[in-house]
Amino acid sequence: MRTQVNAVEVSGLRKSYGRVPAVRDVGFTVGYGEIVALLGPNGAGKTTTLEILEGFRTRDGGTAEVLGYDPGERSSARELRERTGLVLQDIAVEPYLTVRETIARAAGYYRAPRGVAEVIGLVGLTGLERRKVRSLSGGQKRRLDLALGLIGNPALLYLDEPTTGFDPAARRDAWQLVRELRTDGMTILLTTHDMEEAQALADRVVLLSGGVVIAAGEPAALGGRDAERARISFRLPAGYTAADLPVPSHSVPSHSVLSYGANGMVVVETGAPTQALHQLTDWAIRHGHVLAGLTVERPSLEDVYLDLTREGAPARAPERNTR
Amino acid sequence: MTTAVTARRRSGRSAGPPSAKRASLRLLAHQVRYEQLSFWRNPQSAVFTFIFPVVFVVIMGALFGGVGKSSYFGGLSALQYYVPTIAALSVLGSCYGQLAVALAARRQAGTLKRIRATPLPAWTYFAGLLAHCVLVSVIDIALIVGVGRLYGVPFPSHWLAIMLTLVLGAASFCALGVAVASVISNAEAAPAVAQLVLFPLMFISGTYLPIQSALLNRIAGWLPVRPFNEALTGPFARHAGADWRDLAVLAAWGAVGAVVAVRRFRWDPRPE
Repeated sequence: MRTQVNAVEVSGLRKSYGRVPAVRDVGFTVGYGEIVALLGPNGAGKTTTLEILEGFRTRDGGTAEVLGYDPGERSSARELRERTGLVLQDIAVEPYLTVRETIARAAGYYRAPRGVAEVIGLVGLTGLERRKVRSLSGGQKRRLDLALGLIGNPALLYLDEPTTGFDPAARRDAWQLVRELRTDGMTILLTTHDMEEAQALADRVVLLSGGVVIAAGEPAALGGRDAERARISFRLPAGYTAADLPVPSHSVPSHSVLSYGANGMVVVETGAPTQALHQLTDWAIRHGHVLAGLTVERPSLEDVYLDLTREGAPARAPERNTR
Repeated sequence: MTTAVTARRRSGRSAGPPSAKRASLRLLAHQVRYEQLSFWRNPQSAVFTFIFPVVFVVIMGALFGGVGKSSYFGGLSALQYYVPTIAALSVLGSCYGQLAVALAARRQAGTLKRIRATPLPAWTYFAGLLAHCVLVSVIDIALIVGVGRLYGVPFPSHWLAIMLTLVLGAASFCALGVAVASVISNAEAAPAVAQLVLFPLMFISGTYLPIQSALLNRIAGWLPVRPFNEALTGPFARHAGADWRDLAVLAAWGAVGAVVAVRRFRWDPRPE
């Protein structure tokens, strides 16, 4: 086996269900110790891609390599399962077993599992060891699912929408755990709809739409959003119109554009937010007004996501992030 | 407890091939243990599996308890006839019926997919289910024989032939149960389909009433239920050894079930 740089390598992946193409051309890599998020709307091909890598589905074309093995080869299936962990979307646990029994049962399937008590502690189920699974809350069941993904001490962990149904505090805890796992050297490939989650966790995101990769890179730079213009919005003081504002001044190298947003807000899009903000606040103070609801923001990951995955959006060339 | 299990498994693997076999047996025992645990914890499955056949014997005993040996029951007393056929019914229920329904439900819930994602070999999973079903069947038959004794049915004497028939029958009906679970795609339909196949088959095979039609008996003789009834009735009541012809028919059906199961079984809830 050659030395692997990447835990996962995919290129030109194709898969159709009957005549319906689910994955048309997907390629990406996940380096060892990296957290990569697959993003995309429903039907973009995220789950199919993940299931091909997990060995649950055959591929129609392209190459795939996971930890140096071909997930489509039956001969390597057991070894791959020994070294990968899964957290699936469905909560699938026997209702009548206790938390401890459920994890101990799974532990028995692996060559060198983690300790049951250790994993219970990791996912925050300490104190619930003797509780029947059926009496757990939805969030607790998902933590149990996560425990089942971790019990085999995998080198690579797949998380399919891992924090769906978590309350905000539980979600923060789960993120913290994922970061700790990465610090311990685990490689993590996750899917999510939650842009905040992708932003908080992923070293890189791969944005899928219609079965192809439409953008990839660091969350902060996806779709070139680090270079995008800022938006300054505020409410116009009474008795003024947009024409009274100093912003569309040609003396400032800002190419500012002024428009009306919702609820009577004025939105100034600018490539030079520092100057524009200074002019606006200077104007307001000189006239003895405040700019109510003043905010300055750059397009969020969600804005970029919605923009890129919008129906009929012009296909952008995939951006490869060089690190 | 768990750390002990872990340590044992680790040392089992590192010691080479002879203990690799022991490790897979230990894994099988581990699997059977947890199948048992899931089963006994679920009040519904435990009650239905054990109460139903016992109630059935009690009802038959109340109805026909006084009916002595008659040609209608093929020269046996009514209860001598019903104890083995109800024993067969309970094996059908806990092997074929339970498995078809439980596997369809586990697939739909994603439990099977989750199991498939672990290194547990498929054969260990199914062997664990079979061992579990045989265990449940043995308890069922002991209960039925015990209740039958209360109605004056003597204990059977050919235990070896009964055990052989039981294990072969359990294996065959498990295979058929897995086959049915393989061809049904949704769990809601599973109980209905399983019963739809089973109920008429049991009726024409003499489970509920002795069949007096030679033609029907001949047809049912080539289907899986009647041979199993006959193969159990022999060593139960007629003091014969094993009924090899019936066992061969049963094994053939088991093989058909196994082929369908191996070719069509899916772990994933979503079809490809």
